[in-house]
Amino acid sequence: MGAQQVAAAQPLLIGLLLLWSSYGKFANADQTERTALPRLVGESRAKAAYRTVGGIEALVALALLLPPALTVEAAAAAVLAAGFTGYLIYAKIVVPEASCGCLSASEKPIGRRAIGRALLLLATAAAAIPASAGWWSAGSAAVVLVPEAAAFVMLSAELDRCWLLPLRRFRIRLSHPLAGTATDKAPLSATQRRLLLSPAYRSVDGLLRSDIRDYWDDEDWRFVSYTARYDGRPATAVFAVPHHESAPESVRVAVVDETSGLTLYRPTVLATAG
Amino acid sequence: MTATMDRRALLTRAALGATGLVAASAMGSLAPETAFAAAQQHPEPGQPDPNFAEGLVTGRNQDLLQVQGSDGRLHRIQLTGVTSVWKLRPTTIDQARIGDGLYARGVLLPDGVLAAESVWLNIVNLTVSITAISKSGVQFDHHGSKVIGHVQPGTTAAAYNGTPAVSDLSMLKVGRHAQVIGAWRPGTNEIDIATIYTSN
Amino acid sequence: MAGLNAEASWFCCGNAWGPCASTGHGACGTCNSGNFQHAWPNTSDACYAITHPDTCGITGMSRRTCGFRHATTNKCNGKRVVTSIADCGPQTDLFCGERACCGGTCASNRVIDLTPAAFSAIASLSAGLIPAGIDVG
Repeated sequence: MGAQQVAAAQPLLIGLLLLWSSYGKFANADQTERTALPRLVGESRAKAAYRTVGGIEALVALALLLPPALTVEAAAAAVLAAGFTGYLIYAKIVVPEASCGCLSASEKPIGRRAIGRALLLLATAAAAIPASAGWWSAGSAAVVLVPEAAAFVMLSAELDRCWLLPLRRFRIRLSHPLAGTATDKAPLSATQRRLLLSPAYRSVDGLLRSDIRDYWDDEDWRFVSYTARYDGRPATAVFAVPHHESAPESVRVAVVDETSGLTLYRPTVLATAG
Repeated sequence: MTATMDRRALLTRAALGATGLVAASAMGSLAPETAFAAAQQHPEPGQPDPNFAEGLVTGRNQDLLQVQGSDGRLHRIQLTGVTSVWKLRPTTIDQARIGDGLYARGVLLPDGVLAAESVWLNIVNLTVSITAISKSGVQFDHHGSKVIGHVQPGTTAAAYNGTPAVSDLSMLKVGRHAQVIGAWRPGTNEIDIATIYTSN
Repeated sequence: MAGLNAEASWFCCGNAWGPCASTGHGACGTCNSGNFQHAWPNTSDACYAITHPDTCGITGMSRRTCGFRHATTNKCNGKRVVTSIADCGPQTDLFCGERACCGGTCASNRVIDLTPAAFSAIASLSAGLIPAGIDVG
């Protein structure tokens, strides 16, 4: 398998990639606004420009895939790839939140991987220039396209959900990185939710003036306090949520005067109906 | 510190019913529904609420915050000893720093200052999908942008399938959708996770 | 459509700080976190195709467009707020089956997202999710 044959094999991969890319541009033309094209060529011409690039890609792709195999085809692909790399770098600097608009309807902003992929395409096209025969005569050298294709897949963020996420899911199933996080104490957000759904809260909500100000644990209870106002006097409403009972009625509340510390209100019978 | 502990002890006894109730006649009306004064006036739908402020903290002079709103409004917000402050968890008023994102609700005073009753610093509520999980945190995709979620032991909790939140995060799965309440770290694309609502 | 019991949450809009910095002013172009506004899952065909409340078994959800007023009542404390539609949301089909009950009334599925100004008028932002009654405002 000589260098000549490796070079000859490249147009197959490049041609297929450009065909896919061109298809993506026609199938998802409405995502032109999210790319940097409107900034580059003006809003009114962006869609037309997008489609034109798609058309050129398709033409170059077909030229590469169909006989005869001419050096100018690989050179055209190289020029296209160079132009694309330049555009991506421009877009990343000037319109950072623009999406790539490369291969599919992805909203993701242009990352280093997209630029890396464009550079890989450029390198592949440049490698194809010295070829003297078509890809159909590359023979066993075509096997080199497999790792190249894998590299393109790994540089394509749009394809992550096909291989990267399943790989991550599998790794996590083997050993979850957050396995040691369980504790026996309820988190504050669980206490807050119990409190908000309780009759005790309903009975004093009209008095509350703030979100949670303080919270602490004492034996079997968690206490949560809020600023309140009772009969025009500054006060604190304190809820007691038991750790070992889960019924909404088990949540207690008292309203305490801020200055004197006297208990102003403490519902004794908490109605369950609204 | 001891003042807080004494206060907490007093409140503990009151909540558990260990203190006597002040007689009704001495305090005026008893029922909280009637004790509650007129409800706050709400603005017209679609209009800004003058008793609410949103923006970035651009200055702090003792307990008065200067906040630049995203809608162009400038706010002055007065923090007091009874203002509640949330910054990943309930905390104290000294935690409000320049550069923090802020939501505040309170009462607009005649001089234009908002007397804050509740302040939430850097609070975000994001609908995301989980793209990676590691020991240092969880990576999210938020409408195409990457957001890193840090786990804070003792605070970060997960609520699976609508059940009560727990501290056990070992059932988080890559590829699932989630809603995350957290605290943004100013100047970054990172947050600290308070609660993550997801399916397992 | 008669009153609906469902869960309400909150969202930010208006090019504010943090992850809200690039959200824009919502599908209606007028959304700001400090306004009394909300997001509705059926503001247009394109919106419905994203939110798909029918996946959760919610049928007959009315088409309401920008500016339409709904009233949201927090079932846990009776507080009520009237807001106008400013965006498309929430993503109802992602959270089917979530349920919370308060004082004998239960609410399932997410059907409305309020701005921080509106949500904080009837609940606490740190709570994130409340069982709510939704009617025409």
